[in-house]
Amino acid sequence: MQRILLAQAGEGMILAKEILNPEGMVLCGAGTSLSPALIERLVNMDVVDITVEGHPVNIEGEKTLQEELQEIDMRFQRVEDIAPLMYLKKRIQAKLVASRNLGAVGK
Amino acid sequence: MDEKKRAEFKKVLREIKNLPTLPGIVAKLGKMAENPDTTTEQMGRVISKDHILASKLLKLVNSAFYGFPQRISSLNSAIILLGFNVIKSLIISASIFEVMESQDVELWEHSLGCAVVCNVLARHLGVKDPEEISTAGLIHDLGKVAIKMELPREYAMITELSQEKKISRLEAEREILGLDHAEVGSWLAKSWNLPNKLVEPIACHHDPQLAKEEQQASAIVHFGNIMIRGLGYGHAGDIWVPPLNNKAWKLLGLAPADIDPLLQEIEEKLWDVKGFSLDITSNPEGAA
Repeated sequence: MQRILLAQAGEGMILAKEILNPEGMVLCGAGTSLSPALIERLVNMDVVDITVEGHPVNIEGEKTLQEELQEIDMRFQRVEDIAPLMYLKKRIQAKLVASRNLGAVGK
Repeated sequence: MDEKKRAEFKKVLREIKNLPTLPGIVAKLGKMAENPDTTTEQMGRVISKDHILASKLLKLVNSAFYGFPQRISSLNSAIILLGFNVIKSLIISASIFEVMESQDVELWEHSLGCAVVCNVLARHLGVKDPEEISTAGLIHDLGKVAIKMELPREYAMITELSQEKKISRLEAEREILGLDHAEVGSWLAKSWNLPNKLVEPIACHHDPQLAKEEQQASAIVHFGNIMIRGLGYGHAGDIWVPPLNNKAWKLLGLAPADIDPLLQEIEEKLWDVKGFSLDITSNPEGAA
């Protein structure tokens, strides 16, 4: 899941979260595949950012997957003897890997 | 640790001068709550006299970490849904975090994140008042704000010592002050007459085995703090995930199979609170 600016949206990206207008009304449901026409409509409705599946946009200055995984290792390095926390770490890392790989071909 | 010095720090922290004084409204509402004839409407009216406070309360109540399915648009329904104890602690949080948000955005993020995790855990475990646990998560690091504001010199020394010796902030606090933020936070919460359900989890979030009455609430905040640090959301002074207390872990009774769905739910809710701020100028809403 990645939150991106509408300007970064491209054809074929899948919405991971519905798009709401300021009143809380759903403009577009989760799971929708973006088409150029839909993107244009969203621009006209003044939508600023959207949340899409996977991690299709590389944002400058953003940490790479490798860096993020290393940071998780660092955070957990003092509790390596506590089994439930090692499991927690493994699942957090697995989830991160899955979210980065999914839909990486979007753009 | 020099006993005299410890007593001195204790005195300064207990007299708290720089934190905003608790709004007079809390004392007033406290008195009202003791009177069995007080109605929700009367309480709502007192709160709504302070427009800014009322808008902040509604904003907090409607934020993702309380997870109510419907929008709560009036103070009266907020009081009925959340109960007076939660409203009281929210008024306090709103005042404290105004300072905190401007002082230490990352600690504010850590606190919000912890509130989210506590809420998800409490609901998963079927706790009776999940909102109270979220609130405990929101203010569990209150003591850090107090130390920063009352003892800025020592606060800087703690930061330095923690970085230099690569020890946790908690250990550094104990070394320099002879006390830690959990203890300080619990005095504050007690002096504001917050219920024990909030005081104990603040006091025991690093040592949940010391909790006497609120063991489950303390265990949830303990593990909530661990999870949010593990996720790296916000920053609480050092990078390390603190150790898990075995007794608290057993009390929670979580199974490995619970972890993935919990992480999923937490991630989604964190997404929703990202950038949440109590600054209401950008989103003026009428208070009921």
